[in-house]
Amino acid sequence: MKKICILMCFVLMISLLSGCGKKEEPATNDGAVTEENTNTEAEGTDAAAEKVTLKLGIWPEDTLTDDIKLHEGYVKTFNAAHPNVEVVPAYYKYATDTFVSLAESGNLPTIFESWYTEPQKLINGGFVADITDILEERGWLDAINPSISDLLSKDGRIYGIPRDGYALGLMLNVELFEEAGLVDDNGVPKYPKTWTELAETAKAIKDATGQAGICLLAKDNAGGWHFSNIAWAFGATLTEQGTDGKFTANVDSKEAIAAMEYVKSLKWEYDVLTPDPTNEDWGTGFVNLGTGTAAMYIAANDAVNQPTQVNGLPVDKLSLVPLPAGPDGQQYSLSGGTPYMFSKDATKEEIEAALDYLEIMGKAPVATEDAIAGMKADNQNKINNGVPVIPRFPCWINEDLLAAEKAVTDEFNNVDMKLYNDYYEAIKKEGNLRLEEVGSAQDLYAELTKVLQAVITDKNANVPALMKQADENYQKLLDTNVNK
Amino acid sequence: MDETREKKMTIKRTSKYKSDIAGWLIILPSIILFAFFVWEPLIESIRLSLYSAKGMQTIEFVGFDNYAKIFNHPDFAAALRNTFIYIVWSLVIGFFVPIFLGVLLTETVHLKGFFRFGIYFPNIMPGIATVMMWGYFFRPGPTGVLNILLEKIGIEPQVWLTNPSWTIPLIILTMTWKGAGSTALIYMANISGINPELYEAATIDGASILKRVRHITMPSIFSLGKTLLILQVIAVFQILYEPLIMTNGGPNNASISIMQLVYNYAFRDFNYPMAAALSVMICLVLVVLSGTYFKITKEKEY
Repeated sequence: MKKICILMCFVLMISLLSGCGKKEEPATNDGAVTEENTNTEAEGTDAAAEKVTLKLGIWPEDTLTDDIKLHEGYVKTFNAAHPNVEVVPAYYKYATDTFVSLAESGNLPTIFESWYTEPQKLINGGFVADITDILEERGWLDAINPSISDLLSKDGRIYGIPRDGYALGLMLNVELFEEAGLVDDNGVPKYPKTWTELAETAKAIKDATGQAGICLLAKDNAGGWHFSNIAWAFGATLTEQGTDGKFTANVDSKEAIAAMEYVKSLKWEYDVLTPDPTNEDWGTGFVNLGTGTAAMYIAANDAVNQPTQVNGLPVDKLSLVPLPAGPDGQQYSLSGGTPYMFSKDATKEEIEAALDYLEIMGKAPVATEDAIAGMKADNQNKINNGVPVIPRFPCWINEDLLAAEKAVTDEFNNVDMKLYNDYYEAIKKEGNLRLEEVGSAQDLYAELTKVLQAVITDKNANVPALMKQADENYQKLLDTNVNK
Repeated sequence: MDETREKKMTIKRTSKYKSDIAGWLIILPSIILFAFFVWEPLIESIRLSLYSAKGMQTIEFVGFDNYAKIFNHPDFAAALRNTFIYIVWSLVIGFFVPIFLGVLLTETVHLKGFFRFGIYFPNIMPGIATVMMWGYFFRPGPTGVLNILLEKIGIEPQVWLTNPSWTIPLIILTMTWKGAGSTALIYMANISGINPELYEAATIDGASILKRVRHITMPSIFSLGKTLLILQVIAVFQILYEPLIMTNGGPNNASISIMQLVYNYAFRDFNYPMAAALSVMICLVLVVLSGTYFKITKEKEY
């Protein structure tokens, strides 16, 4: 009996240990492969003939069958030119709770999309590849819109390329504007030009339709992100940088307080918000706009598929107009870019392959025949899915690409540009585009969001005191994390 | 005579060791598993909390810097205070409900199985689903389920979770709704195990139901209650997904918990050393709490 016992323990032990061993094996192998590849990279020339695996994190998710077909077409074109590259669809939707484990275990796809908030965090964490040299070789470095390339760079090195640029505007649900009688003879919505007008328009819509006039976000940092744009219109600058490079919080200026008082009045004076702004985030904002439970929403040109394709608003019932101006006529559009980034473990060949793939998608600064075909296929796909085809925000600025893009967009246009023209006019104006606040924007947004939550849940909230507290908190965070 | 005795002893001793070896060998796989999956990570996170890091790779020893940063963090005070408020409310609302239900269930004569199932039912629902469902119930404005019901009886719509002073009690109510059933069953099992002769004797002596509960039931479940109390405090101290999903810690930090702060450090900011430092602090607090509680109740019991 005892012998059997001991034997069993032995078997258990062995299986346990062998289990551990197996787990570790691939890791060491991976290391070896990367090393090998770096070696060949150093040797140079015959790398092209070697098999390269391109894991595409930008592959569409399973439910988007049309998009998958589109990408299957891209892969065909791509493999004709690069027979040595094996393309592996590896759909990855960026999420902060999955990212680090994927990165640390070496399982990130070669190329993936991230959020506009993430680049600096990912660069600081060492999760993404430095692609400066590769871009330089390709001559792409100068083609990136400089304001966006700053967001993707650290210490002069660049770690990503822009997928899309954005500039915040005001999205309108035209159906609700029609229902409230707020359209002109051409069916173009009479949209608000100032924030005061916005409150009145929102009130008119709420009275006429019973739906919220505007969807304000107050669940997470997106609330503070939107608010910073409102505050600018009121004349505020929320972070200041001294000559010594140190940042000072300026959240409790009288302009910023006025902006916050304004938001408070949207709830307690005009009562035009959705039932629970503290539960609205970037995604639910589009649900409200698309399904007609809110008439206006602060959003950008790169997200026009959200209300339409994703939430069912007819393609001709969406309008994008400039954000309203403040009391002194100041008007800004917060702009930035959503990035493509590359796994830190990706070899040079793999990154090159990924960039070649982007060329075929028409998302790179080249206007080759393949690229134009890619843009056309993309736009046709948008038309099939009821997504407005509108000009892109110029994230690449080389002339040939811009001309090609314009030609393709004009050809495939499926919406009345009267619904969009004012927006494009506004962001062309000198000084209209403004990058997000310097210092530590995410910490700033977190603090502002807390104040937003307080003012829309408490009628008697003391705005100056709350802003002062936010200012102190933000300064503390700046001092511990940034000002060293 | 002595010799044989000694011999016997040695035989006994060696055989005892032999059986010990078998025991140890049986435990060994679990010890190794524990070492890999519990102790090693525990020590690793203490180490991590003392370093600065790039992602998860430690860079340099920084002593207690991370701890100092946490104390300086604007959300820390709110999170700490809230966590204790959660515990207090969970004791006020959540601790006695299962005992009450347990006693009630034992006393039930008809439809016992039905009630037992009914009370346990919320427990088999996935946690996130429960929380999201209650989120719909608590929606402010005319579209929330509870407000629709209130409207039927002519009461104004309430703001529920967005009223900062209601947020925590309502979250605890949700947790109690979900968790009370399983605890009640444990109490019920314990009460059913009490020698029925005690009750018989008490009844003969003329004790009322209340007296029987007070003098027989309560003392019998005291030590179980003590254990469950500690478990509850430990569990509520680590409350995370309920506020995370229902309110995201808001409004204005009214419901942020310490664990959510850990979550934010780790998964929002990718700041693992600070997440580790705060986890170590939580661990210490729980060790102290459990220790004190055991000491206090031990004296009472005898």
